[in-house]
Formats: sequence, C-alpha cells, structure tokens
Amino acid sequence: MIACLFVPLFPLAARLRAEPELKDEAVAVCEGNGSAARIVAATRKARRAGIEAGMTLPQARAILPKLVARGRDRACESAAQEALLEVAESFSPRVEDEGEGVVYLELDGHPMLGVPGEITPLSPTPSPKGRGAASLGMAILLAAEKALLPARVGVAASKLAARVAAGLPGSPTVVADGEEQRFLAPLPLERLAPALEIAATLDRWGLHTIGDFAKLPEGQVGSRLGEAGRALHATARGIDPRPLEPRLPPPVFTEGLELEWPLATLEPFLFVGHAALERLVRRLEAQALACTRLDVALELDPGGHDARSIALPAPTRDVKTLLTLVRLELEARPPGAAVAGFSFTAHPDAPRRAQLTLFGPAALSPDRLATTIARLAALLGSDRVGSPRSVDGHRPERLTLTGYAPPPPPRVKPAPRDGRGLLSVRVLRPPVELEVLLGDSDSVGAALAAARNEGGDKPRPYSIRSTPGAAPPIAGSVRVAAGPWSLEEGWWTDAPADRDYWDVELTDGGLYRIYRDRDGGHWFADGVYD
Amino acid sequence: MSGAQAMAPALADLLEGKGLSRKAAAQSLLSGLGAKLTRASDLPSPASRRDPLPTRVPALDRLLSGGLPRGGLVELCGRRSSGRFSIAMSTLAAATSGGEAAALVDLGGHLDPQSAEEAGVDLERLLWVRPEKLKGAVTSAEMLLSTGFPLVVVDLGLPPVRGRFVPDAAWVRLERAARSHGAALFVLAPYRVSGIAASAAVSAGSARALWEGSGRESRLLGGLSARLVLEKDAGARGGKAEEMGLVAVPELSP
Repeated sequence: MIACLFVPLFPLAARLRAEPELKDEAVAVCEGNGSAARIVAATRKARRAGIEAGMTLPQARAILPKLVARGRDRACESAAQEALLEVAESFSPRVEDEGEGVVYLELDGHPMLGVPGEITPLSPTPSPKGRGAASLGMAILLAAEKALLPARVGVAASKLAARVAAGLPGSPTVVADGEEQRFLAPLPLERLAPALEIAATLDRWGLHTIGDFAKLPEGQVGSRLGEAGRALHATARGIDPRPLEPRLPPPVFTEGLELEWPLATLEPFLFVGHAALERLVRRLEAQALACTRLDVALELDPGGHDARSIALPAPTRDVKTLLTLVRLELEARPPGAAVAGFSFTAHPDAPRRAQLTLFGPAALSPDRLATTIARLAALLGSDRVGSPRSVDGHRPERLTLTGYAPPPPPRVKPAPRDGRGLLSVRVLRPPVELEVLLGDSDSVGAALAAARNEGGDKPRPYSIRSTPGAAPPIAGSVRVAAGPWSLEEGWWTDAPADRDYWDVELTDGGLYRIYRDRDGGHWFADGVYD
Repeated sequence: MSGAQAMAPALADLLEGKGLSRKAAAQSLLSGLGAKLTRASDLPSPASRRDPLPTRVPALDRLLSGGLPRGGLVELCGRRSSGRFSIAMSTLAAATSGGEAAALVDLGGHLDPQSAEEAGVDLERLLWVRPEKLKGAVTSAEMLLSTGFPLVVVDLGLPPVRGRFVPDAAWVRLERAARSHGAALFVLAPYRVSGIAASAAVSAGSARALWEGSGRESRLLGGLSARLVLEKDAGARGGKAEEMGLVAVPELSP
C-alpha cells in the first residue's frame, strides 16, 4: 500500500507555517513583482471575500483592501516540504519526495494495517485492514498537523490512486487493493491532470468522468492520442506502473525565512528567529535527534551574505539555548548590514542516553546536562566550562579542558574511601608579579647584603609585595621560606620555563608558592596553599 | 493529674501573660514535650533525614554530624591558607570516587587538575565552571543544581571576591534549589556571604603552617593545621570546634 500525503495550497500553507499568527487573517500568496504579481493561493477568509487564484494583486486589493499579501518564499516552502517528508519518515523508511507539498510513503508491513480486506470510500463497512489503513491515515494526518501543515491523506495500491484519493475532501480516503478502477470511475477527468490538448480532445468527445474514458478501447485511444493518451488511459483504469522512488534522508535540517522588511536590530531578528528555531527543534525531535552544530546564514540588504557556524558542546534540542547562542554570536560579530532573510541549519546527532541503576548513584539526565552545558557555555564562554584533565609536565599551571561526558555511575555504590588529608594549592592564573626583597629576616642590612650575595649563602625572600593593581594583592614580611627548587622545562621550545621555586609563609599567615624566573629575574606568585 | 491535664492550665496562664503560676503544671510543661523543644533548630529538618555526603575531612564530618546535608547549603569561610580549598578537594574526591557527579564553580579559576587528582578527585566526573563574576557564579550554581548534580561546590576564591555583592535572596534561591533537588551545596568564601540561607556555617581559623626543619637549615612545608568552628547549624548547637590537620607531602605524614 502507498499513502500520499498532500498539502493543499502548499505555498500558502508553508507561509502560514512560518507565520502562524496570520492563520485567521485574509492572506494571499503572490508570485511576481509589483502590479503584475498574481495570486497563487489565498486563505478561506480571503476566498470568501472573492479572492481567487490567478487574480492580480491590484484586482485582489480592489475587492479586499485589507488583504495581507505575501510573496512566495522558497526557503519557507523548502522547509515545509522537508517537514512533510520528516512526518512521512516517522511512519515509513521508504518515502518519495514529489515536491510542492506532495509526498508518497510505502506502508507495506506497517503493524497498523492489520489483515487484508476490502474497503472503498463507497463501501459502508470497512474491513479490518481498511480500518487499519484509515487509522494509520488519521495518525499521519495528526502528525502533519503537529508539524503545522494541514494535509490530506490518500491510501491506495498505486501512487496515482493514492494521489487522487488525497485530493478528495473527508481525508483520510482509503482505496482497497484492486479497486482503483472502481474508485476512479465516478471522478471527473480533471483529477488525472491530463495535458491541455488531450483534455480538450476528450471534452470534444463528450467524456467527463474517468470511468467514461476507461471504457474506451486501449488500442483506439493509443492510435488517436499517442503515447501520452495511452498512459493516461492506463491510469484511468487504475494501472500505475511507476514504482516508489525513496529518497535518501537529509544530512542536515534547515529552517529559514525571507523577511518582508530588512531587520537592522537584533531583537526583532531574534523574535522571528525564535519561531524558526522552534520549528527546527520540532523536526529534530520527530527524528529523535538533537542539534550538535548550528549554521546561521544571513541574506544581507541590499546584497551579500553572511554565514557563521556555532558548535555546541553537546547535542541539544533546547530552543532557549540555541537562541542564546545565536544572540551571543551576533552580538560578538554583527553582520554589518540589515538582514533580509535567514536560514538556520542544524547538524544532527543522536542525543545522549542515560543508563539507570537500581543500587548505584543516580545518573544525570544527558539531555538536561547537554542543555545546561550549552547554556553555561553561552553565558560564560565555551573555554570556561568543561572537564579538567591533568597534563604531563612540570609546570604547575599546566591544564587542559575537555567536554564533560561523565561515565555512567557504578551499578553498586562503592565503599567510601578515607580522605588523604592533602594540602591543596590554589593556582593563580595568571601568576601575580612580585617585588621581592632578598636576605635574612634578622636585619634589613643583612638582607641587602644577602641580596648582593656577599656572604656566599643563597639569598632568601625577606619581604614580598605584589605589583600595584595585581589581583589578589599579596604583601608582607616572610616568616619562613623554604627553597629553592629548580624547575627547567621546554628549553627547546620558544617558551621555556627556568624557575627557582620557594614556599613562603608571610607574617599574616598566608602560605604562597613563589618563583623567580631565571631568564628575566622577575618574581611571581603562582599558588596559594589553602 | 495526668501530664496533659497539668500542662493545660499552665499553657492558659502563659497565653494570658501570667507566667507559670501553678507549680505542678509548670513542672509538667518544663519536663514534658516542651523541654525537648527548647529551640526551633531541634526540630528535624528534611535535609537531615537523608544520608549526608561526607567530606572525608574527619574534623568537618564530626562537626556536621556525618557530612554535608543533601538538600541544604553549608558555608565554610576562612581567610587565605586556612584549608578551605583542601576541604573542597576532599569533598569532591569523596563524591566522585563514590560514582557521583560533582560540579565545581570556581570563581577564581584556582583548580589545579594535578593536585585534584592526587587528592582523589575523579576528574571525569567533575564539571569545572569558571565564572568571572560573583553573579555568574550564583547563576551557574543554580543551573547546575537544577540539572541534578548531587554536589555543587561554589568557591569564591581569594579576597576581594570578584563581582558585585549579590543580595541574600539569591542565596535563599540557591538553598531552595538545593533542597528541591536533594543536592548538597557547599559554599566556600573568605567571609560570610550566604546570610540566613545557610543551614550550617563553619569558620576555619587559627591556621598554622607546619614546617619540617628549623633555624637556618633547609626547611620543607609539612602541612597545615586549622581550627574549624561550627558557627551555625540547624541540627545542632553552634560553637563546637575541631582541629583539622592537612599534610603537604603524604610520604612525610606520621
């Protein structure tokens, strides 16, 4: 069985999906420029007022001055078509993209179809399979509605019959297997969308229904109407040899909008961007995916493009987080011109899963964790959130930061270990530059002599004081000094470390780790024992 | 006369402002249920009903009746080199080595991964957040508590604390977030910041460095001792004190 998912007045439906606040207004979608623009589709309210497809915009405005006119937006339509395909893909892995709001999906083997039977829209008592197909059709309709697309569904054995069934009101319409010809027979010939010349010929022959045309002998039709006529005759008899051509799933998800007026400030852009991100996240959610990278493409006014990419620390589906990241990105690097259109492209990835345990510590929800990390990264900067790692080497300030992905908690909580009671060091980043007096703490004179190294003994720090403006401020006389310990690393690099380290206790009780840079002779404090 | 009957007139007198005029009733009131509930803090708190999260610093665990209460805010304040950061590392080590996730909101960016690893912290389970201002630290802590981290340590670094003062209401919000998620919130600050929000407050003082060697001979930093004083606790009387010892080089510890 094949189902056809069809969105009537697709350009209008796509536009209303992007601007749902216009749903109850008299809206028309036009194609073309200026006074030559023609109405392509209009809402029910506009149609009731007399607006019809094919009218020029001035004609329509003459009938309804308050008509809200919108141009065809290819970005909107493309996003709506993608959303329609994703709705179909949530029911079947084999989906064909026909374009313009039409999608086919293969339903064979779907558990909701049930046992084979017989049903037509004309038969009063549908069989179990028919009921299954109708239920499935209704489920597809509801899913499309959730994606903000008012669709119709037709289910039949062939693409053509499904497409014709989808065009009928009272959706979903189910055509039983082998009943295509009977189903099509009472319908007008226009349902088969024949070529204009063939339609005129058939009209001259006095044929108005598909059934009338199907009754004609195939050979005679072929000899008079050619190959196109023969194919049309076959479809009138319910024969559709076209197989379903499934498409490959897209690697990315895109939502965008061409703006009616260029936007020069950030807040209005974020307002319309929020709706686009919501649609994008809804599509990701339908595929059980999350966004791991967001590309922002901007159309600038009067011309030009701007593109940027926002990498997320973990896959997320949180609209607020994505919007905050977009805001921060645009605040940091403004596009430089008014924005006339935009598109957001989400690179999907599977969201993280949690394995729960009965007896071990509770695991964090991966989705919430990813959202929190993304929000923290947006708030503080991506280099300020992560999991620290130790690095091989000897410099105390060495550090690396990786993405936070904690391993699953143990199944059983391990027995507690005794604390080591170690004295830790607060690392000062960057190190605080010091002015240091060297010598013996007994007298300043001796200190100065020792500073000149006159006694042959190693001079010791006697008094230290941070340079003005340094944070945190450090000042005081040294009560005890231990050292020096030499550290030499990376002499083969451009930034070697050649230091003499001391542990000093000041009279105020502060315990510091200080060093003298042997290259420059300057003193620094790079740690506080605390 | 039963205890309840004796208490009734005494309570009536108290409500009328007459004091305890009847001896029997007064004795009953003072020796019964009322005697056990002399302080509001004696009432059991929701946080005290759950297993506390041990800090693995024996002195602090004794003061806090086993460790940090889950669903409460504990504040530890002390000046430079009073052992605050070492206590934070020990607490993080206790939580992460037990398989729990933990977050460190490090206002000064002082964490040394090497020494944290030596202290027993499982770095894979530690989320390190380095805000630049106090407001960012408080916001980060609230987000982390809402995410479900069982332990959030907020270290406000060395004085002066970066960023403007945050109102008491912010700490009350944090305490409520910790309570609603059953998380232990441990705030380390150079001076008291959380006001009334803290369910327990401990101060670290009288710190003294311990040196190996004496006189002009080579010295070596052996460790640090400090006195922890329980300033406030919802579940116990304040004023209790314990001595804490930390070693700089474990091989030299007795």
